[in-house]
Amino acid sequence: MAVGYVAFGIAALILFAAPLWYAWQVTIQDGRTELLRVDSQRLTDVFRREGPQGLTSFIDTRVGMQIAGERILLFTDSSFRPLAGNLREWPAGIPPQAGTYTLPVRLANKAAHAMFVHSTLPGGYHLIVGRDQALFAPLTTRFFYGLAAAVAVLCIAGILGGIMIRQAVLARVNGLRQTVQAIMKGDFSHRLPVQRSSRQGVDEGDELNTLSRTINGMLDQIEQLVHGVRDVSNAIAHDLRTPLAELRSRLEELSLTRPDNEETFAEVEAAVADVDRVIRIFNALLRLAEIDSGLRRSGFVQIDASELARQAADFYQPAAELKGVTLGFRAPPAIMLSGDPVLLAQAIGNLIDNALKYTPEGGAIAVAVQPHGEGLIDIDVTDNGPGISDEEKPKVSDRFYRGDASRGTPGVGLGLTLVASVAKVHGGALELTDNHPGLKARMVLKAEREAHRLVTHPAVDPHDRSDSGERRDERAEEVHRSARQSPQSAALLQKRHDFG
Amino acid sequence: MKLLLVEDNERVTRFVLKGLQEAGHTVDHADNGREGMFLAASEPYDVIVMDRMLPGNIDGLAIIEALRKAGNRIPILILSALSDVDERIKGLKSGGDDYLTKPFAFGELLARLDALCRRTQGSNTQTTLDVGDLHIDLLSRKAMRGSRQIVLQPQEFKLLEYLMRHAGQVVTRTMLLENVWDYHFDPQTNVVDVHISKLRQKIESDCEPPLLRTVRNAGYMLTAQE
Repeated sequence: MAVGYVAFGIAALILFAAPLWYAWQVTIQDGRTELLRVDSQRLTDVFRREGPQGLTSFIDTRVGMQIAGERILLFTDSSFRPLAGNLREWPAGIPPQAGTYTLPVRLANKAAHAMFVHSTLPGGYHLIVGRDQALFAPLTTRFFYGLAAAVAVLCIAGILGGIMIRQAVLARVNGLRQTVQAIMKGDFSHRLPVQRSSRQGVDEGDELNTLSRTINGMLDQIEQLVHGVRDVSNAIAHDLRTPLAELRSRLEELSLTRPDNEETFAEVEAAVADVDRVIRIFNALLRLAEIDSGLRRSGFVQIDASELARQAADFYQPAAELKGVTLGFRAPPAIMLSGDPVLLAQAIGNLIDNALKYTPEGGAIAVAVQPHGEGLIDIDVTDNGPGISDEEKPKVSDRFYRGDASRGTPGVGLGLTLVASVAKVHGGALELTDNHPGLKARMVLKAEREAHRLVTHPAVDPHDRSDSGERRDERAEEVHRSARQSPQSAALLQKRHDFG
Repeated sequence: MKLLLVEDNERVTRFVLKGLQEAGHTVDHADNGREGMFLAASEPYDVIVMDRMLPGNIDGLAIIEALRKAGNRIPILILSALSDVDERIKGLKSGGDDYLTKPFAFGELLARLDALCRRTQGSNTQTTLDVGDLHIDLLSRKAMRGSRQIVLQPQEFKLLEYLMRHAGQVVTRTMLLENVWDYHFDPQTNVVDVHISKLRQKIESDCEPPLLRTVRNAGYMLTAQE
């Protein structure tokens, strides 16, 4: 990886240096040509002022003074015979026309690559002013040295930096891996390390931390689920064993004693009742699983919580009267919320059911719905029964938990668990507080659906049942009829309707 | 009535066949989807009972959809071990008319089959219903027993209407919960029974002959006494 990054760095540097090099070359070249032209012009002026002799002696003086080879000068007559300068003869490569040429020549017994400016002077004389390109070489070399040094620094910095980053990331990834391995071994209490900055309690916002926090959130959820499953397994083992044990002994006794018809009949009926109890527990568990899996979010529609609660209160009214308990209802009309009517009806039902079970004769139960601050809705079911002690409150919504007060009453101990799950699916929670005396169970629900949706409504199937015309009308009517009756049935039917 | 049972589990089949035959119905049985489809398409049944999970990984819903596409409108009751509300909706969407979750009580199945069968006979255009000397007017929402006016709460009226529409049939507690209150859960207390006994007090005063009978292990039946 690090090598790749360094190679990439070098390539980038070259890409950057190449145009620079080119521009530099062009500029230098122009500068050199210009220099030679100026020189050539100066000599031409001498020629104009002082004639061929003057120029000859001028050049001779200059050749005598200058360091050998720095300037190449040649002054010839019209037939290219040298008159003055440091070239012995006309260079073979230079054409008779005036111009600027770059070509290899032999200078003082060594080969050179030189640039020439060839001017023709009045009277057919020729003047060459040139310069050995090799004299510029050190400049180019320095440029390349500079470039090489930059590349070297880049390589070292890149490799070192790469190694350091790699080490840092590896160390953290190793930390993550060890945690994950510990979790894989079954210890769900581990959490991924999240680095904290020096400022108190402020998380560093780098990607790994964000990822760690997200994974930790996921682990919290998984731990809760795993514990839930573990608790449920234990609870199922306990709660299902009781009716199963009864059933088993009943059947075994029947097969052993073979009693008369009358008694057999009664025993078999009792056995069926045992099985029904087991089935009821299973149904409650399945419903819970269904809710917890979040799949029911597909059933969310706009509903009137007030109406839903009123219907539930009405539904239980006769049962309350029979028990000598008053069941009150109080709510402003039309409190809309996005939710699952089937689940909410069951949750409210469970709360009232619970309250009825524990409120003694002469007691009072109150169902109330009210908006609660920003986007929340409270559904309260309060009673003045024995209530739940503070130690028990957190436990009652656990699966199968049954308080001391509930011993000897029917029920499978999943009622409040379901209420808590339903509240959770609706972005809220179940709160249990004291009603002094009694219990106040409050479902806090979000009025608006959470932004994410797990399941989307499937589009209406275009290949609808061919015979559905009449049937569809029936259903449409059904929807309207139900809409008057209850928002919940309307929603359910509407959904059926959506489907086809 | 003439029924078709499409179910592959032998024990369930034996249990349902025996029960239905004892109740005086003619029952054909198919233990796979292909045969079930063939019978359903060729014989005039009153009701079909369709299991969802059939051999060869065939979902009974696919058969129902195919039947409906072919224009077959025989009422179908779906039997399924899948109890989710969403599964239920899927079943009704595919063209089923009722959905019963396994395991079920036979009384529940029988009552629902009766209701399905009669539903196709009864018409929805009636504005009054009569059972014996009990009379209700669906438009004015008024109920009379002989010449005596009965004062009913809206919910009680709905309950009575449902019972009268299914007069002479057994109606289970679950059917009442689903159809009168639209509740798809099992309230642990006997709330339905309390509603029924309250309604009974209103429609049967001291000297009047009883109309609303409790059917043991099944539910209730509204019927005029001979």
